[in-house]
Amino acid sequence: MFFDEVPPDTSIYMVAGYVIFFVVTAIYVASLFIRASNLSRDLETLKEAEEEQAAPAVEVASPPRVAPKPRAARAKTSKARTAKTKQASRKTR
Amino acid sequence: MDEILPKKAPVTTMTKSPAQASRAGSSALQQYLRAVGAIAWKDLAAELRSRELFSAMLVFSLLVIIIFNFALELDIATRRSVTSGVLWVTFAFAGTLGLNRSLGIEREQGGLDGLMLAPVDRTAIYFGKAISNLAFMLGVEAVTLPVYSFLYGINLFHPGLLGVILLGSIGYTAVGTLLATMSVQTRTRDMLLPILLFPLVLPVLIAAVKASGGILAGDEAASVMSWVNVLIVYDVIFLAVAFMVFDFVVQE
Amino acid sequence: MQAKPTTLKVLDIVSLLLLAVAAYLALFYAPEEATMGQVQRVFYFHVATAWTGLLGFVAAGVAGILYLIRKEERWDIIEVAAVEISLVFFFITIVLGSIWARPVWNAWWTWDPRLTTAAITELVYIAYLMLRQGIEDPVKRARFGAIYTILGAISAPVTFFVIRLVRTIHPVIIGSGDPGAQGTFAMTAGMKVAFFFALFTFTVIFVDLFWNRILLGRLSARVEELKLSVLR
Repeated sequence: MFFDEVPPDTSIYMVAGYVIFFVVTAIYVASLFIRASNLSRDLETLKEAEEEQAAPAVEVASPPRVAPKPRAARAKTSKARTAKTKQASRKTR
Repeated sequence: MDEILPKKAPVTTMTKSPAQASRAGSSALQQYLRAVGAIAWKDLAAELRSRELFSAMLVFSLLVIIIFNFALELDIATRRSVTSGVLWVTFAFAGTLGLNRSLGIEREQGGLDGLMLAPVDRTAIYFGKAISNLAFMLGVEAVTLPVYSFLYGINLFHPGLLGVILLGSIGYTAVGTLLATMSVQTRTRDMLLPILLFPLVLPVLIAAVKASGGILAGDEAASVMSWVNVLIVYDVIFLAVAFMVFDFVVQE
Repeated sequence: MQAKPTTLKVLDIVSLLLLAVAAYLALFYAPEEATMGQVQRVFYFHVATAWTGLLGFVAAGVAGILYLIRKEERWDIIEVAAVEISLVFFFITIVLGSIWARPVWNAWWTWDPRLTTAAITELVYIAYLMLRQGIEDPVKRARFGAIYTILGAISAPVTFFVIRLVRTIHPVIIGSGDPGAQGTFAMTAGMKVAFFFALFTFTVIFVDLFWNRILLGRLSARVEELKLSVLR
């Protein structure tokens, strides 16, 4: 029996579309990972530098907690919040 | 500038907005309007004396028109149909020059800081600047139109067209002044303004080109009016938003 | 160092699973469309990524307003995260739309109002990122970012209506007459399942990526803060 029009074969485009989707998404997720690990590394380096600045002669087991820095210049409510997170994360370590 | 920098500046009037002013009595509103006028006049007077900015914008727009002529190589009929597009592209680019220069001068001469010390609502600075920018743009357009008419033999002196050009220029300078005040405070300054401005100002350009084109082609009023309405809506919306947001752009 | 919350780790896995199921539904379960063939399947992810982009767009605008009102750093972090995610997903939307258009309309770009507005919004996002890059002071950067986000959020719908007005008054002569349709077809039950499941999946994916990006933003803010104090 006749079937009228068979749909055109546009599978290539479908494949291209899905490949592009997965590739772009993967690249983005990968960039999130990479940026996060780079920043973590920076954070560690900066923390060490900060500790050395605060107490250059002393490098004891528990690092000195308060390095007096003028927070007034950058005073924002959120800075206090990130300071708290900083303390909290130090404690979790 | 003396009238907006009195000897004694009471702190309360620092933040008086037109709304508060109208409650307190019309004198504060008059003060506000005078401040706007003074700021606008400061730039216009300076420009009338030196004519640097105006001549630069003018030469630029003439060059753009000439470049279009050779780049597009059109026959007379096609030229008619692209006239509105060419005009608005020209205005958009010349406008950027004007905006950059107008705000750049403030930054160079420390004028922005001086203006901010004035005991008047910050938005007066915005409106004053926007008015002077608009004046520059209209001035350039006023000269470009006859030149274009002359070069291409197309009569552009249509009251409707002039109205569209006015409305489009208002929308463009409303957003442009706000963004220029921001971009001038960044590292990349001049280069950044077109990048920030053009995506936002597209509706104005589209509507202005369509309206202008419709008028020049003698389309019926109804279809042109729908574009004019778009321009009016855009102008109102963005003037209002700029008014609400400008304080944040200039606060230290 | 901030530890990734367990909920988020779970959400990561859930998102991946949902994505796998959505892909299966779109690629195999949904029936083939009669006039367009297999390429129509990109439609499921095309609309779903547009939805994700739209979520990000709205989140960015709201965060911008909230930042100006509250001046809290967290709204700035949220705003950047939202813009970035919307940028990525609108990009995918546009590319998929283009791929769909090619065999169906025989053109890579159809000036469809929605896709054109998405493309212009991409330009706004890029301008936003360039604006931020040009400002060193974090507070000013946040403030200007918020202002530009608000301007962009308002101009996008205006742009959309203007472009649609262009298309209705001057219908595009290439391709078929109806300017509003991006290839119309009636959805059967199987298609609807794939379609709505994709929308659901991408909502979850949005939340997951958003949360991850916000954590990254917080980390970045911490690093910057430390840099300013240590490398004084």
